Amino acid sequence: MTFLEKCLENPSRRNKLKQFFYLSLLLIAGSEIILPWMVGESHHHFTFEGIPAWGSIYGFISCVAIIVVSKLIGKIWLLRGEDHYDV
Amino acid sequence: MMFEWVHPGLLLILGAWVVFFLKGRARNLAILLLPVGALASCLSMSLGTYGKVRFLGLDLVFGRVDQLSLVFSYVFSIMAVIGVVYALHVKNTSQHVASLTYVGGALGVTFAGDFVSLLVFWELMALSSVLLVWQRHKPATISAGFRYLLVHVLGGLFLLAGIVIHVSQTGSVAFGDMGAFSGGMAWTFILLAFLINAAVPPLGAWLPDAYPEATVTGAVFMTAFTTKSAVYALIRGFAGTEILIWLGAIMAIYGVVYAVLENDARRLLAYHIISQVGYMVCGVGIGTTLALNGATAHAFAHILYKSLLFMGAGAVLEVTKLRKLSDMGGLYKTMPITLGFYMIGAFAISAVPLFSGFVSKSMVVSAAGESHMALVFLMLTLASAGTFLHTGLKLPYYMFFGKDKGLQSREPPPNMLVAMGLAATGCLLIGIFPGLLYSHLPYPVDYVPYTLQHITSTLGMLGFTALGFFLLLRHLHPETKMSLDTDWFYRKNSGSWMTIVRGPLTRLESDFIGEFYEFIIRRPVLGIGRLLHNFDIRVVDAALVALGWLTQRLSQLLRVTISGNAQHYGLLMAATILALTVMALVIST
Repeated sequence: MTFLEKCLENPSRRNKLKQFFYLSLLLIAGSEIILPWMVGESHHHFTFEGIPAWGSIYGFISCVAIIVVSKLIGKIWLLRGEDHYDV
Repeated sequence: MMFEWVHPGLLLILGAWVVFFLKGRARNLAILLLPVGALASCLSMSLGTYGKVRFLGLDLVFGRVDQLSLVFSYVFSIMAVIGVVYALHVKNTSQHVASLTYVGGALGVTFAGDFVSLLVFWELMALSSVLLVWQRHKPATISAGFRYLLVHVLGGLFLLAGIVIHVSQTGSVAFGDMGAFSGGMAWTFILLAFLINAAVPPLGAWLPDAYPEATVTGAVFMTAFTTKSAVYALIRGFAGTEILIWLGAIMAIYGVVYAVLENDARRLLAYHIISQVGYMVCGVGIGTTLALNGATAHAFAHILYKSLLFMGAGAVLEVTKLRKLSDMGGLYKTMPITLGFYMIGAFAISAVPLFSGFVSKSMVVSAAGESHMALVFLMLTLASAGTFLHTGLKLPYYMFFGKDKGLQSREPPPNMLVAMGLAATGCLLIGIFPGLLYSHLPYPVDYVPYTLQHITSTLGMLGFTALGFFLLLRHLHPETKMSLDTDWFYRKNSGSWMTIVRGPLTRLESDFIGEFYEFIIRRPVLGIGRLLHNFDIRVVDAALVALGWLTQRLSQLLRVTISGNAQHYGLLMAATILALTVMALVIST
């Protein structure tokens, strides 16, 4: 069993991995707010980039928007059976 | 030195013919040495113009070597080396010949300083790459190849039409910035041809149609050259063309939307080519030095990571013979090395810090920021999230993790792993030492990718995209369906078009055009013919007969003088001399 298998197959390790993931998200969002403020570095092209944790917020919105909108377009318009062009 | 300049493209194209006659180790050595030689030739070039030929009154330039063509030639020949290593185990020599010719065509396009040689290499690329599709020898592949070829023939005709108009207007075949002819016929046709090859929607459906049907190794070549040589041509000819900004930004999102719906692994990656080329097209449209540097850098980085991703998906296809994500799962146990390399490519395309995409994609996005295009900036950033979502999360999740389907699999042949390792090294090198790439860009680079804000906001964006992915995972399961793209217009409607051709068009042809032809052309022509025939018989022939008759009569008259008697001849001569003397006397007095 490789290291990767051990991590993924064992439920308690999986849970730990999950916790680690959420913790790192918090850390990233936190650092995005605090670090530029600490260093005093702010190089924005647009005002919306100044919103605290802009990257994290926009990343999450983008991800959800892409999934929801694409699935919707697929369902009502674009998705067909795999033999669509054969019949 | 014997040669001032060796054309690396011609080296590959001519060398490919030698490869045809080799077998076994000699063949493998030759297909390895050819791209290495091309790379060496590119690296040793100095700036200047070489290979000027005057042909049929046209000034052809085969070797325009400047910063822009050099950097593209580097990545094209590096990619050729990687691609050949990846394909080394393929027994079928004609596949190698096709791919070497294809790369040669791309290098020819890169160094072409005039439109005519550009067109020749452009067509050569289309013809040689379709062979990489057909070599898979499946019924679906044959028809996909024909569709691919027809689209590219159309693009080639657009290019030819544009060139003919351009040359007749300006009298010059030189290929340079087309900004001065903006909006004209020549400009439009040439731009259309470039946009078709860059797979800009709605003209880009050929790409996800053909690439997933190509051979495992052929697809790796195809991802690198057609769209990126088109990006090169756009940078050369259409920098700062405003419509490209919007086409590029739409393209970046278009590819991402289709990737959500896709179930075929290589088709998903093909849609992400469209998305990534969108950044480059957008950069060309913005047209500032930062944007053009960004488009070039992104093309360079993209060739390496995209080929790496296609090599990873190709390795899975090669080993498991599976192409649909819904059939895969749990491969990480048996293919950990492939997974590792694939993830390097996935992090590079997703612009994770320390990987190549981070230092190249951000140049284009920053250029949009510097030019204060808020909407473009937001669209490109959104597409970045989508890129990570599919290439970095969805595809590896369903391919390597997910539900273990207990598939029989193992690592691919060692040469495939070596090629993936080479590309992965490139992705990391560029990401960690961006100066390596920046120093070769067409304009001086004044851009620092590793700022605190850039790193934290990118990590935030990627991290929370991952959160969104895991929250919505239930809705992302690949569906065993296919999605319609603009190829629907010619795939579905060619049947009804044929009905129009067979019915009304055929009747129009026979009833109207045929009758028209009968009355306007056939009858008058026959009438005139008959007239000429009569003239021939009555006048020309009669004249000839009369002439013959006259000649005959004259010779019969003259026969009297030819008696065969010497005295008669002597008398005749004496009489003639006497007559001449008399004549001379008369004239002189």
